[in-house]
Amino acid sequence: MQAHAIRIHKTGKADVLKWQVVEVPDPGKGEVLVRHTAVALNFADIQRRRGITPMPIPGGMGLDAAGVIEKVGPGVKGFRAGDRVAYVGLGMPFDAYSEARVAPAAKLTKLPKALTDRQAASCMLKGVTAQYLIRDTCKVKKGDTILVTAAAGGVGSILCQWAKSIGATVIGVVGSQAKVKAAKAAGCKHVVVPRAGKFADAVRKLTRGAGVDCAYDSVGASTWDEVMRSVRRRGTAVNFGGASGDVRSLDFAATGLLGSPYLVRAIMINYAVTDDEMRGRVRDLFRAIGRGDIKVRIGQTYKLKDAAKAHRDTETRRTTGSTILVP
Amino acid sequence: MKKPAKTATKTARKPAAKPAKKPAARAAAKAPAKAAAALPAKSRAIRVYKLGGPEVLKWEEVAVPAPGAGEVLLRHTAIGLNLADTYRRRGIYPINLPDGMGNEAVGVIEAVGKGVTGFRKGDRVGYVGGMPNNAYSEYRVARAAPLIKLPRSISDEQAAAVLLKGITAQYLIKTTYPVKKGDTILVHAAAGGVGLILCQWAKALGATVIGIVSSAEKAKIAKRNGCKFPIVTKQANFADQVRKLTKGAGVEAVYDSVGKDTWDESMKCLKRRGTMVSFGSASGTLPLIDVSATGSMGSPYMVRASLVNHTVTPEETNARARDLFRAIARGDVKVRVNQKYKLKDAAKAQADMEARKTTGSTVLVP
Repeated sequence: MQAHAIRIHKTGKADVLKWQVVEVPDPGKGEVLVRHTAVALNFADIQRRRGITPMPIPGGMGLDAAGVIEKVGPGVKGFRAGDRVAYVGLGMPFDAYSEARVAPAAKLTKLPKALTDRQAASCMLKGVTAQYLIRDTCKVKKGDTILVTAAAGGVGSILCQWAKSIGATVIGVVGSQAKVKAAKAAGCKHVVVPRAGKFADAVRKLTRGAGVDCAYDSVGASTWDEVMRSVRRRGTAVNFGGASGDVRSLDFAATGLLGSPYLVRAIMINYAVTDDEMRGRVRDLFRAIGRGDIKVRIGQTYKLKDAAKAHRDTETRRTTGSTILVP
Repeated sequence: MKKPAKTATKTARKPAAKPAKKPAARAAAKAPAKAAAALPAKSRAIRVYKLGGPEVLKWEEVAVPAPGAGEVLLRHTAIGLNLADTYRRRGIYPINLPDGMGNEAVGVIEAVGKGVTGFRKGDRVGYVGGMPNNAYSEYRVARAAPLIKLPRSISDEQAAAVLLKGITAQYLIKTTYPVKKGDTILVHAAAGGVGLILCQWAKALGATVIGIVSSAEKAKIAKRNGCKFPIVTKQANFADQVRKLTKGAGVEAVYDSVGKDTWDESMKCLKRRGTMVSFGSASGTLPLIDVSATGSMGSPYMVRASLVNHTVTPEETNARARDLFRAIARGDVKVRVNQKYKLKDAAKAQADMEARKTTGSTVLVP
């Protein structure tokens, strides 16, 4: 069959995203044909489009989406036409920005009734990221105090809500006064706006000098030193992104004097090695949403064919919260 | 140097602490000859006035102050020699000159200062840090809080040989990465002081130990001490062998005290989300690390472990020491004093250590 999809033939500005007709093959063995109903826009998409993160050219775009199964290939168990599903496209071609695609059934998770397609699409990648960070990278427990940078951001706001629901005290760091309210709404007990880039002293004060049990940072280069200084003795400092640049040259030997923190650069691929592992995480996420521990707010919705505009608005910071593309 | 207690209080740097006299007096009533020896006015110690080679260690007479509040006077019976001492002597680890040397020793409490609870004259104790560098001495005044009481099952020389290395090994395999049955771990310098204890203890916990050693002779020593697979190499090219030995899986944790030369290869030996423990840098200070790149190396936990962050309170230090003594009593960890030197020959002992003429543990005896 034929369907529309966003295709990219060279890296560059948002206008390299082309809305084209593509051929969608019949599902092969173990595969299903998914008609997308809601597609996530992630900042990682923009980084790929810009050529900062490598991607195959020509190629499609997008990692995670929700949709309905239209056709089932041979040998597929547990799924049938009409099932509502969602996926994080780890190990799949970037092709979520499409009306329909073929996907391995093993990558899919059925959606619970309580969750709408759009809700699911808005939190698959971000939610699973928060899930492994909070359940595995550092196992957050009741009574812990944690630090989240970019606390009003996509993953940040999920981390804050989830950690709070576990019984942790969350200290958020946000880039501006304007984001304080959003961070508080996400469950931060304290919100720190850095002064001249510094926030460790403020975090120390809030924890009576002790420091936090665990810090989650996706900002990277500009925040990492302060993050490490905010962590308690033998605590954990987790970096899971580099919005301000990567953490390239750390004086590791000196961290012995900072209290011997554990340092981790977490990336999803190390937390979802098998499809089963990924599905376990997605289910845990859906349960957390079902309990109301995490509320997903969709900030704005665009038509999928207007993906270029959605990218531009994201790049110029005109969006808030999650962005959804709808075919 | 054997002078009556009275003189000792006179030469003290602090005003004489009255309670200090009491135990001495009580002891005097029981055994006058011993009491006379208990509180000397002068003692001898190694002093350092400038940084450099072993020759900067000076054997000198120093005054022995009376213990102040919260302090005790210790008569050292055995002192641990550590590579870190040579780092301080050379200025690789900072010290304020002039200074003494050493932060691991065992001795007997000869006098107790005001406000000290839980210790009394005659107690056998040891310590690992928590006080100024002055273990290379016949007598010293020491804060009571960081002291570790020694059980009868361990001799003074054994304790001096094992305290620092043993407590280091204890926190590394019980806290930094808690080694479990079925784990496979990689230990660098597996025939070294801490390395040998790590091998023995990890094996007792049910782990498989792969060790890196620099010679066939050291491989034998490591193997005798619980290292199932010693790898002999002087170059940093062991990752392939470690992968092969673990059938491609990698190890749960790497314990690396070598540092600069081994870091990159060590990182390649880890299982996904494994733990990279650095606890020394015998080959030089670690280069700056590209943290972002470690995501594609399996997102390991990287930790620069240090003793001070694992012996924060006296309770923590003592709990670790007791765990070590239990492991020794069970026979899980065997303590050997591999060489003994007279304390006044500390310079020769350090020179031998630096020339790699020593193996295992070295003790200085006053």
